[in-house]
Amino acid sequence: MIIIAIYNRSITYFLLYAVETDNLSKVYSSGLKAVDEISIKVKNGEIFGFLGPNGAGKSTTIMILTTLLKPTSGNAFVAGFDVTTNAKAVRENIGYVQQDSTVDEYLTGRENLELQARVNHIPKNVRSKRVDEILEIIELSDRQHEAAVTYSGGMRKRLDIGGGLLNMPKVLFLDEPTLGLDIQTRYKIWEYIKKIHDEFGMSIFLTTHYMDEADKLCDNISIIDNGKIKITGSPKELKNALGNEIVVFEIDSSDKINTLVSNIKKLTTVKDVSIDGTMITVFTTSGDQLTPQIFQHANDLAIKIENISLTKPTLDDVFLSHTGRELREDDGKYDRKKVRERMRRIRA
Amino acid sequence: MTMLVDAYTIFWREIKRYKKSRSGILIRLIQPAIWIIVMGNTFASTRPLIQSVGFHGSYIEFMAPGVIMLTAIFTSIFGGVNTLWDRRYGFMNKALVSPVSRSSIALGKMLAISLISTLQSSLILGIALALGVHIANLFVIFPILLTVTIFSLGFSGISVIVAATSKSQETFWGVINFLGMPLFMLSPALFPLELLPSWLAFAARLNPVTYSVLLIRQMMTGTVQMLPVAIELSVICGFVIVMVALASYVFTREVNKPF
Ligand SMILES: Nc1ncnc2c1ncn2[C@@H]1O[C@H](COP(=O)(O)OP(=O)(O)OP(=O)(O)O)[C@@H](O)[C@H]1O
Ligand SMILES: [Mg+2]
Repeated sequence: MIIIAIYNRSITYFLLYAVETDNLSKVYSSGLKAVDEISIKVKNGEIFGFLGPNGAGKSTTIMILTTLLKPTSGNAFVAGFDVTTNAKAVRENIGYVQQDSTVDEYLTGRENLELQARVNHIPKNVRSKRVDEILEIIELSDRQHEAAVTYSGGMRKRLDIGGGLLNMPKVLFLDEPTLGLDIQTRYKIWEYIKKIHDEFGMSIFLTTHYMDEADKLCDNISIIDNGKIKITGSPKELKNALGNEIVVFEIDSSDKINTLVSNIKKLTTVKDVSIDGTMITVFTTSGDQLTPQIFQHANDLAIKIENISLTKPTLDDVFLSHTGRELREDDGKYDRKKVRERMRRIRA
Repeated sequence: MTMLVDAYTIFWREIKRYKKSRSGILIRLIQPAIWIIVMGNTFASTRPLIQSVGFHGSYIEFMAPGVIMLTAIFTSIFGGVNTLWDRRYGFMNKALVSPVSRSSIALGKMLAISLISTLQSSLILGIALALGVHIANLFVIFPILLTVTIFSLGFSGISVIVAATSKSQETFWGVINFLGMPLFMLSPALFPLELLPSWLAFAARLNPVTYSVLLIRQMMTGTVQMLPVAIELSVICGFVIVMVALASYVFTREVNKPF
């Protein structure tokens, strides 16, 4: 036993990756492939963002990593342990804050945390102190003895996050930590996440479909759509890959739009172009140089430009360029069944 | 050892929740109380029949153990329903990603249900005594309640198994109602086995409820004999062991599937 314990400890001490997956897939019994051969590496100590639209497979991936679901194929390691063959060791090293609130409304805030401390085997003599500390961090000390029914959504979320921290996990999983919260509360939650990351130094794996969230918090992100990883990198890298600037313009008719776009694509400063109706978005390394060229080409084809603007790329643009709806419809793989499945999930 | 500590944690949580939702306790007592009062008086005239098989008290006294068991049966068979809530509202996942083993979750729930069932049954016992039901001596109250506790531990296993396998409340209640009433009726709770047609009496002999009713009745009337009690106790304990094992097995298997 002791040898195993020391061995386990030494593994996590020299740990390179907090999370590592290798062609991980999950097919639900309905036949839906929710996670499709994903391979990700989350460095020890970083905040990693898992971005994707509704139904992309984020929660499914988290559930595999937290040992709640068995993968259909592929491997996954969390804190150095295999999630299928060494689930117990994984559970001892993780915190998991679910997408939906898990606060027990009958119990007080304090009792909720005490319960979680008990299930996480926090020794009796430090339990109460640990709960005090966490209540302090999530700023709920003053309301700890009130039943959780009386808490607002933001307070519940804080309580949920606090619960995930109790056992000082090596890897903390946050599934959509700010879903459904107002702007102020979201900023507050971001602060908490930053604060606990600085204080405890654990690795954080968070999912979100808010780009600003990923941009603010994450060292690295992966974008997932339809169960597949589209791209991985730091927010900065991903934005730079699109070019430094974006030119968006609208034209009067879509008649010769394809010719125009293919002409624009040939320009040296252009990185990528996407079309939405009569709206054209061009990612470029130099907007100043490009704008007159666009007018020139439009003029040659007798196309009138209604309006034009120049912006800096955000992660939203990265996201769009990798998962954009127009892309999905164009490649003919637009899957009705999947869309229906997704709608069903949202309604349920 | 950790398994027992973990089971205690889950037990602690269930009891805490039970205490906070106390409003249900009295409501759940109304039904058995009505049984005692209405059935006890309606069938008062069957006394000669019951006396013919060797029971000397009144009909209410005959059925009192039956109603105690009625309370125990229904409290424990309904008790597992919050497993469904836990799976839906996340506590279950919280426990499942912690180092707590699946079996201790099932066991903790069963222990809590069994305690709650004992509390409810003790109130019914109190009502029965208040209505003038005579018991041999007051010291039998403790072994009577202990019997209820042990029986309920086993019976709550049914509830946990059904809850773990059903995906919806409707399925749960359907199956539970299908099981609960027949198991109660198919026992000497309201009528002596001796007066049942032989095939029904045989079926009742396969029902663990039967042995609990008989044991409690013998204790209440002070007619305890070595051999029958030994048989009854071993059947009840055997049932409990089987149910605890089965419930932890089924529970573990089911919670590992997506809900
Ligand atoms: N238990 C289940 N059985 C069958 N299909 C499921 C189940 N759970 C999820 N799915 C499907 O798997 C896909 C991925 O779902 P998942 O919950 O992982 O998405 P997500 O990225 O977390 O989405 P959201 O942003 O809405 O939370 C969806 O198409 C969903 O319908
Ligand atoms: Mg999700």
